[in-house]
Amino acid sequence: MDKFRKQFIAGIIVANPIFVLALGLCPTLAVSVTIDNGLVMSGAVVFVLVASCIVISTIRKFVPNMVRMPIFIVIIATFVTIIGLILEAYLPAAHASLGLFLPLIVVNCIILGRAEAFASKNPVVSSIADALGVGVGFTLALVTISFFRELLGTGGLSVLGVDLFTLPVLGEHPLALFILPPGAFLVIGLLMALFRWRGVIKE
Amino acid sequence: MKADTLRKVFPIISVTAVVFIAVTLLGLTDTVVRSTIEWQKEQKIQRMLYEIFPNMTEHTLEDDIYMIYSDEAKIGFAFLAVGKGYGGNIDILVGLEDETTVRGITIVSHLESPGLGARITESLFTDQFVGVNIADVALRQKGGKIDAITGASISSGAVVDAIRATVMEKVKSLENRE
Repeated sequence: MDKFRKQFIAGIIVANPIFVLALGLCPTLAVSVTIDNGLVMSGAVVFVLVASCIVISTIRKFVPNMVRMPIFIVIIATFVTIIGLILEAYLPAAHASLGLFLPLIVVNCIILGRAEAFASKNPVVSSIADALGVGVGFTLALVTISFFRELLGTGGLSVLGVDLFTLPVLGEHPLALFILPPGAFLVIGLLMALFRWRGVIKE
Repeated sequence: MKADTLRKVFPIISVTAVVFIAVTLLGLTDTVVRSTIEWQKEQKIQRMLYEIFPNMTEHTLEDDIYMIYSDEAKIGFAFLAVGKGYGGNIDILVGLEDETTVRGITIVSHLESPGLGARITESLFTDQFVGVNIADVALRQKGGKIDAITGASISSGAVVDAIRATVMEKVKSLENRE
């Protein structure tokens, strides 16, 4: 159990996929416009990550080394398509706003990275711990980035479709730069610098 | 010798097995959620019809053409046009006041590049179609009245061409019916 916890926590801080490993930055830049988008995207990624890692870790001893990549990709793509269909049926608005970036989870390097580096070499339980840790790390990073982008870029915040508040000056003159891709680079860069400076992330 | 052959064939068998299971799972999921997806699309189209015809009280669907009524009076008709965009099909809902005048358009779904072709959904582009005669639905460089989106002439052209072609076809089929 202690090992499980260690594995889980590693993915959140020491090996945070976005702030430390700088993996999966492409969907992060595109999707972290609003908190809602960030939450749905993280949910989809966590589902795909955990499900694929469970399956890959279970069958790891039967997968011939020379065809492991195609097999992993087929497994990941299956789960991505399943979550895509479910979102289209039950959350069509979220599905539409994520658009192309939902099917692109297939080639998200966080997922293939965990499958290749961890799940294909370790037993199921520690693979789940690893996947959950990395998934939560991704979620926290994505929500933090989209928090700042939504706040500065629209001058207010809304979570799950409910408007929480609008700032007095920013609400009328939002810094639209933060909604655009350069804003994502700025926010990610500044957050990385902050975490490094405060010693949250160590070399 | 036999064990050797088996070792050579095993990768093929394993990939085939994985693909087979994956396809089965996808087929199952699709069967379960397909009707919900269709229902959601229908709801979405109804909302979009209201956007184009705000005083619509009723609509009927006849051979892929939505007839729009306001208090028993026919105020127009609408249908879906499919354009070949840069990233895939673009589904466009086209509303007409009469056989020649566009009432409004809405992009139902598309797979165009974000920031470029995806801007066909913005009102800056779609509002250009309101009240335009179908003969003028063409890009400006081809003698029409529609301005293409900068950097997305393929997506803009696909929308315009699909609307013109589908309007011609549907108007003809309406005339044949009467």
